[in-house]
Amino acid sequence: MPDESWQPQIVAFVCQWCTYAGADLAGTSRMKYAPNVRIVKLPCSGRIDPLFLVKAFEQGADGVLVSGCHPGNCHYVSGNLLARRRFTVFRELLSFLGLERERLQFSWVSAAEAVKWTEVVDAVTEEIRRLGPRKLGWGETLPSRGSRFQVASSKVEPETRNPKPKTLQAAEESIRRIARQLLEANAVDVVVGYGNGTLSGVTTPVFVTQPDGVEQLVWNERCLNNLSVYLTRDLVKRMGRVGIVAKGCDAKALVALLQETQINRDQLTIIGVPCEGMMQNGRLAVKCVTCDVHTPPIYDHLVKVGVGIEILEIGESGEADPRDAEIAALEALTHQERWAYWQEQFSRCIRCYACRAVCPLCYCDTCIVEQTQPQWIPPAFDAKGNLSWNIVRALHLAGRCIGCDECTRACPANIRLDLINRKLALLISDEYGYRSGYDAGVAPPLTTFRPEDRAEFIR
Amino acid sequence: MARIGVFICHCGENIAGVVDVDAVTQAAARLPGVAHAEHYRYMCSDPGQKLLIEAIKDKHLTGVVVAACSPTMHEMTFRAAAVEGGLNPYLSEMSNIREQCSWVHEDKVAATVKATDLVRLMVEKVKRNHALQPITVPVTKRALVIGGGIAGIQTALDLANGGHEVILVEREPSIGGHMAQLSETFPTLDCSQCILTPRMVQVSRHPNITLLTYSEVEEISGYVGNFKVKIRRKPRYVIEDKCTNCGDCAVVCPQVVPNEFDGGLSWRRAIYIPFPQAVPAVYTLDEESCLGLHPLVCEKCFQACDAEAVDLDMKPEIVEADVGAIVVATGYDLFAAQQARELGWGKFPDVVTGLEFERLLSASGPTSGEVRRPSDGRVPKEVVFIQCVGSRDPEQGVPYCSKICCMYTAKHAMLYKHKVPDGQAYVFYMDIRAGGKGYEEFVNRAVEEDRVLYVRGRVSRIFQENGKLNVWGADTLTGQAVEIAADLVVLATAMVANTGHDVLAQQLRAIVDEHGFYQEAHPKLRPVETLTAGLYLAGAVQAPKDIPETVAQASAAASKVQALFSRDELEREPVVAHVDELTCEGCFDCEKVCPYGAIERKEIRDREGNLLRLVSSVNEGLCEGCGACVVACRNHSIELEGFADDQIYGEIVALWPTTVGLPELVDW
Ligand SMILES: Cc1cc2nc3c(=O)[nH]c(=O)nc-3n(C[C@H](O)[C@H](O)[C@H](O)COP(=O)(O)OP(=O)(O)OC[C@H]3O[C@@H](n4cnc5c(N)ncnc54)[C@H](O)[C@@H]3O)c2cc1C
Ligand code: SF4
Repeated sequence: MPDESWQPQIVAFVCQWCTYAGADLAGTSRMKYAPNVRIVKLPCSGRIDPLFLVKAFEQGADGVLVSGCHPGNCHYVSGNLLARRRFTVFRELLSFLGLERERLQFSWVSAAEAVKWTEVVDAVTEEIRRLGPRKLGWGETLPSRGSRFQVASSKVEPETRNPKPKTLQAAEESIRRIARQLLEANAVDVVVGYGNGTLSGVTTPVFVTQPDGVEQLVWNERCLNNLSVYLTRDLVKRMGRVGIVAKGCDAKALVALLQETQINRDQLTIIGVPCEGMMQNGRLAVKCVTCDVHTPPIYDHLVKVGVGIEILEIGESGEADPRDAEIAALEALTHQERWAYWQEQFSRCIRCYACRAVCPLCYCDTCIVEQTQPQWIPPAFDAKGNLSWNIVRALHLAGRCIGCDECTRACPANIRLDLINRKLALLISDEYGYRSGYDAGVAPPLTTFRPEDRAEFIR
Repeated sequence: MARIGVFICHCGENIAGVVDVDAVTQAAARLPGVAHAEHYRYMCSDPGQKLLIEAIKDKHLTGVVVAACSPTMHEMTFRAAAVEGGLNPYLSEMSNIREQCSWVHEDKVAATVKATDLVRLMVEKVKRNHALQPITVPVTKRALVIGGGIAGIQTALDLANGGHEVILVEREPSIGGHMAQLSETFPTLDCSQCILTPRMVQVSRHPNITLLTYSEVEEISGYVGNFKVKIRRKPRYVIEDKCTNCGDCAVVCPQVVPNEFDGGLSWRRAIYIPFPQAVPAVYTLDEESCLGLHPLVCEKCFQACDAEAVDLDMKPEIVEADVGAIVVATGYDLFAAQQARELGWGKFPDVVTGLEFERLLSASGPTSGEVRRPSDGRVPKEVVFIQCVGSRDPEQGVPYCSKICCMYTAKHAMLYKHKVPDGQAYVFYMDIRAGGKGYEEFVNRAVEEDRVLYVRGRVSRIFQENGKLNVWGADTLTGQAVEIAADLVVLATAMVANTGHDVLAQQLRAIVDEHGFYQEAHPKLRPVETLTAGLYLAGAVQAPKDIPETVAQASAAASKVQALFSRDELEREPVVAHVDELTCEGCFDCEKVCPYGAIERKEIRDREGNLLRLVSSVNEGLCEGCGACVVACRNHSIELEGFADDQIYGEIVALWPTTVGLPELVDW
């Protein structure tokens, strides 16, 4: 039984034009409501950063309420419509990570809706009271229970497609030929491609600046990495005009970078390589199972792969992603179980930021996590900091992640970042019909809105 | 080191009656960084403000928090006081412990704890506030008035007479609005056209007024003092300057359609002038009724026009203008009478709306002012007037009272009796609302002098029988059923918000209330302003109003605009966004989310002039301070002054644990 005397502590982030004014009107009209909510006033619901909510939970809030103007009534035209998308994603993410939905509430309350404000506050307070206090702190998990809810890793054994050595060899020759031509014609200053690594079984990036160096370039079933990450690195930028060897999935990252004006198309030459799939630990890599970009969506030169390879066009691959079953399994758990699962995962995070280092879309020189004024994300690798960091990482990639899985492969702690990324990608594709990496001409989904966007969860 | 002063207001008993102000003060005094805390009966009073001013000086305060009413009430007051004490105004903040605490909670302990929390939160915020300097912007002394009803006409004339340029935009071919359709007006029964027409003509002749009829606002950007508007002029296919108003074109036009000005009770041609006194006095070709322009079908009007005023190739035109203030005067609409099914409007020709009846009464109307019923043109001998059709009816219509129908129904009944002395008028009413100078007397006159029969009750059904309309109702005073065999029934339909409002309101960034009427900034103290600076309201666009009230508000709006125009420069709140160019990565997500186009791309070049990178930069004049860009920026390279990240951070971390410094109240 919930403790009757327990008082939930709730913070409300509200916009000053509608909800704050509505709350004032409730006061002027002497309406009574629960005293549990503390208001933090912002100019617009569009100014309400998910970080505020993360921080509030980290600080111990039992619940958070976000409230703004009704759609169509935003004092700033569209702030609430942007907020609606952002919080749709945020709410799903936190629920996926195991936070009870009741703890995160949303409403539209206009300046005239004093009654509604009192009803919202009372209802939210009551729902959270019924739920009781948060049993675990931010990021905490019960030590004994942590591993009980292991989600069985995908039982689906990805087929071991046998890449055809002949086509690989043909592609390699073609890559070298194109690279040589580009360098000889002085069309590029450097070609970024794959070379043989020191360990057998892996490739390493090589940066070829001389025509004779093209012999370093290789192409085999181990060219899994996404090289586009180097394009935003200062060292590479300073080399001048770049030619890059890109598979379909890599080219998706290029599309996303173009969308965010991180690369200059005129200064970039894309050597597109049709690809049948890459190998990881002796198996077809998971991302390759559902690949629908066997031919890159953008390129300047398309490598000839010889005979016998089937080149799929962009579109549905027809294959099921084995991770969808894992996501479904996680979603079938209770919130508590999910929370335990994820906190156990995050507890292993050592904050090495390898995920960030390999992500082609994490190009900021000063990441939010390194900022100290204010320090939104605790830097220490403890429960709180790890959870907040992982939430923010996921949010920053929501609607942008192209699904290259580099982060998951790089993570030394084997945290299933791919499940989170994919969960959000599926959500965004369902809600907003958007998939990242296909069209540089459209606005990323969280920077835009449609008046008819759904959000039934908003009171 | 921060030295914050905290001032807790009792607001008489309003706060102190619920919140233990002493406990809050003690708790505040113990907060880190608080150098002074006290409470006082009325902080907003002169002695209250003095306390604050003295404390700033004596204790060398670096910031103040006044815990009192809503900042909407007194933020300005205490900012001004802070300035008098020698502080930057933006180092003063308010905790709202009245509207959002003492007035809404009964439990004194819980309210005191909450008040303490709210104070602590603001103390943490104000510690992180910066001194900000107001931004000054120039004022364009030209006004845009949208809507050319009596409200818009009055505002435009007042402003123009005050020496300012005005652009008056009207959607219809003529200005005049609903008032042009009225016959006589209560409570004086002077002829509507007679008092309106001279003003309409004045508008068209005034050198300071640019009149754009048959036009609509297409786009609005900018901010107070500096709006940019785009106005779309629909093609009227008649060149205004050339049209001599001879009417030769209409005579030859083969297309006859119902005349909306007469509520469909008369006919007009596809090329027409809505009413004889229309301003501008020119014809308009209504494209939808025309036999066809693209491709051209008949061309008769073109051939008939000797003045060569008909231009069938006319294209829509966009007029752009800079204005400093905008007055919305787009008026109202009427409740769709067919929605009150039991009353039979639309089914029975002799059930008409009040506005249609105005046309039947009007000397310039379809019957030249003789009251004749639409079905057979006979003079009706028994007329039933029904009030509150759609008004005060949450189920079928709107919950509010439309305010004017009691009055105009009395007027209608009276005018009818003046025209048909041997007729009988009945009025079904709920209550009579006749608040206004001479209004009660007016209704009494209808009852006493003109022998209008008032029946208190609702009509449940109307049906046609033997050329009569059988009206079934109840007299709630006697408790008896009433049945009247009427010749004509007149429905006093509710005044509702103008249907086009949503789009325009969104463009104007104005808030509309639950019924679609524009929301004023404050229902009592700022009835003609909106929350968008530089945007004012006039007339029935804000709520149902009669003509005297409309005109009063229209003049009030004009005087507000004149006050704005009395200065050459305006001070704007410095709540704007700033970009940290060092960390900005140039992804331009901010540019995509900014609704005002305030984000510009700035080139960063090295000493030789080579382009290094592009970063965002905020145009302070355009930035409205919504903060959407701040949230879109992943590495927080944009900051919003006044609501900066570290200020909000301070508030959030101050929230828990609750009741710090209030040990005696911990177990609430
Ligand atoms: C049957 C009836 C009888 C009445 N009798 C009386 C009376 O006797 N005495 C009295 O005092 N009051 C009377 N009234 C009330 C009177 O009509 C109103 O008070 C008055 O008309 C309000 O004027 P307004 O300018 O605010 O609105 P309106 O008259 O509605 O004028 C609004 C104008 O704006 C234009 N417009 C609308 N949208 C746009 C747009 N998007 N862009 C550009 N232009 C636009 C419209 O075309 C119109 O010209 C009566 C009302 C009714 C219905
Ligand atoms: S705060 Fe940002 S989004 Fe809002 S107006 Fe200013 S620049 Fe545009």
